[in-house]
Amino acid sequence: MTTAALSGLVTTRTKAPIFRLLRAELRFMLRRPRTLAALGLVAIVPVIAGIGVSLATNAPQGGGPDQAIAGIAAIVKGNGLILPVFVLLLSMTMLLPLLGTMWSADAIAGEAAAGGLRNLLLAPVGRARLLAVKAFGIAVLCLVAVVIMAVLGAVAGMAILGGDQMLTLSGSTLGFGPSLGRIALLVALVTIQIWAVAAIALAISTMTDHSLIVLSVTLGSIIIFTVLTAIPALDWLHPVLLTTGFPDLADVVRDPMPTDAMTDGILRAACYILIGYSIALGRLATRDG
Amino acid sequence: MTSVTGMVIGESEAPAASTAGAPARLAARTRNLRKVYGRTVAVDHVDLDVPVGSVLGMLGPNGSGKTTTIRMLLGLVTPTAGAVELLGHQLPARLGYALPEVGALVESPGFHSFLSGRENLMRCAAAEPHLATAAIPRAVGEALERVGLSAAAGRRYRGYSLGMKQRLGLAAALLLPRKLVVLDEPTNGLDPAGTREVRAVIADLHAAGTTVLVSSHLLAEVEATCTHVAVLHQGSVVAQGELAELLEAGNSGLLITTPDTERAVNALRDNRMPARATPDGVRVDLTATTAPEVVATLVHAEVAVHEVHRQRTDLEDLFARLTEPDSPEAGLSNVATQVLPPDKPE
Repeated sequence: MTTAALSGLVTTRTKAPIFRLLRAELRFMLRRPRTLAALGLVAIVPVIAGIGVSLATNAPQGGGPDQAIAGIAAIVKGNGLILPVFVLLLSMTMLLPLLGTMWSADAIAGEAAAGGLRNLLLAPVGRARLLAVKAFGIAVLCLVAVVIMAVLGAVAGMAILGGDQMLTLSGSTLGFGPSLGRIALLVALVTIQIWAVAAIALAISTMTDHSLIVLSVTLGSIIIFTVLTAIPALDWLHPVLLTTGFPDLADVVRDPMPTDAMTDGILRAACYILIGYSIALGRLATRDG
Repeated sequence: MTSVTGMVIGESEAPAASTAGAPARLAARTRNLRKVYGRTVAVDHVDLDVPVGSVLGMLGPNGSGKTTTIRMLLGLVTPTAGAVELLGHQLPARLGYALPEVGALVESPGFHSFLSGRENLMRCAAAEPHLATAAIPRAVGEALERVGLSAAAGRRYRGYSLGMKQRLGLAAALLLPRKLVVLDEPTNGLDPAGTREVRAVIADLHAAGTTVLVSSHLLAEVEATCTHVAVLHQGSVVAQGELAELLEAGNSGLLITTPDTERAVNALRDNRMPARATPDGVRVDLTATTAPEVVATLVHAEVAVHEVHRQRTDLEDLFARLTEPDSPEAGLSNVATQVLPPDKPE
């Protein structure tokens, strides 16, 4: 009876429509409690940072006048749009890589452990296509996380710290429009770096069934990279370390804006993305489902 | 190989599944399939034939290679050596053409605990190439109905019982009409009512002309639902063919009641007749000999015989003889099926 009822609606495709797969993957990721918790965290961090800065700069009235805090208060005053930059650069070191890694770990290793990967392979979703769908989901969520952080940072900055301007590291002040431009640029740059981290994580994710291994190996590597970056004697190694470009992201708030380090950072991240996805594809193609 | 072809042609009375393209007489076929994990040979020399329209029960003790064989058949695992043909398509090159018409439940169903049963199925349905987008909600609803999960469809998968999880896996395999349905231990964790329902589903599929491949270690299960059987043991197919034929072949046994069990067994074995002592008496396999010869041999050896009668073998007996290490190696070598030589070339 099922046969008869469905006969008009059964197609002869050999692949499910890609948009349907992408939509299903995004819906699946967004339904996941840990994704929602992660996005919630990303939304709260800028607000907490805004309140923290505000309290720190307003507090010491009764005690001895603290020159430094008064100085910071003066800098922050009216420059609320510096908050998203501050928060993004801060989260760049650990929180955002952690999220990208988590989504990559769930995408293949976690899915394999739950058996969902087998369901998809049997549908069938081809292995290259499966990787593309997973990569798309991860990329979108990384972007969403960074955008949420930037938008809430900007809103919190303007609401809590006040002012719609941005004081650059070079001492000049940018107006509202150019400030938003700089924030948008930083969002793009940070997202690309997180994509690179997620690509490494995804490569590891195709090699194991345990998401925890993906998490420890990727974050462990980032910590090791950061340590190596700090050792001047190893400067010959620095150009190939992903984390080398992370501090240079602060160039976004210089005036005029130097672009050399930024370009290097983008190229470096692109290499990591290419290598990461190549390894992932190679491994997924032969992996036992 | 000629015996294989003969068997398949003899299969023409089975309901033929409507094949759109080139009609395949075998829904699935493996040749010389081998899978090695490290130093462990999981599956070796597996030549499996799944005739179109059959319900083939894959039997074997735990670790006999059932699941590995099924996973290679479905392209989940790459064989170390050998060829696989699924619905007439060569694997792995044309896997994508075969799989949309194959429904499968392999090992534990792979669903996510934070989604409801319906949402989990929707996700599976979205990946099904043959389902039109507009048909998805209805296909999901009907599949849930079919396995009796409609009432629990909105509940989180986390709260499902083992049986419900298994049913949901079955529903995913039945999302749309298939040519081949592969069920790996489908009654695992099901209560007797659930087991009966699975049997009913298999019977429905068979009536609709769908080929079904069921793996199980429950012999009664296979005996009740299957038209064909393949017995796996230590990674090899030790017997396969129509269930009725195999049982008939297994029938040719004699049970001899004698006070002199040991002498009887020795006398028969000296004359190259496969005999073994059982609590009921001496059992003789008649595939290589005849009843009068057995009796004559015993009389010549001056063994006292109280009673000789033919014994009906059931699947359990057959299975025990094929898979238990201490059974005589007589086997079923001249049954109209292929049986691998006991000493595998290695």
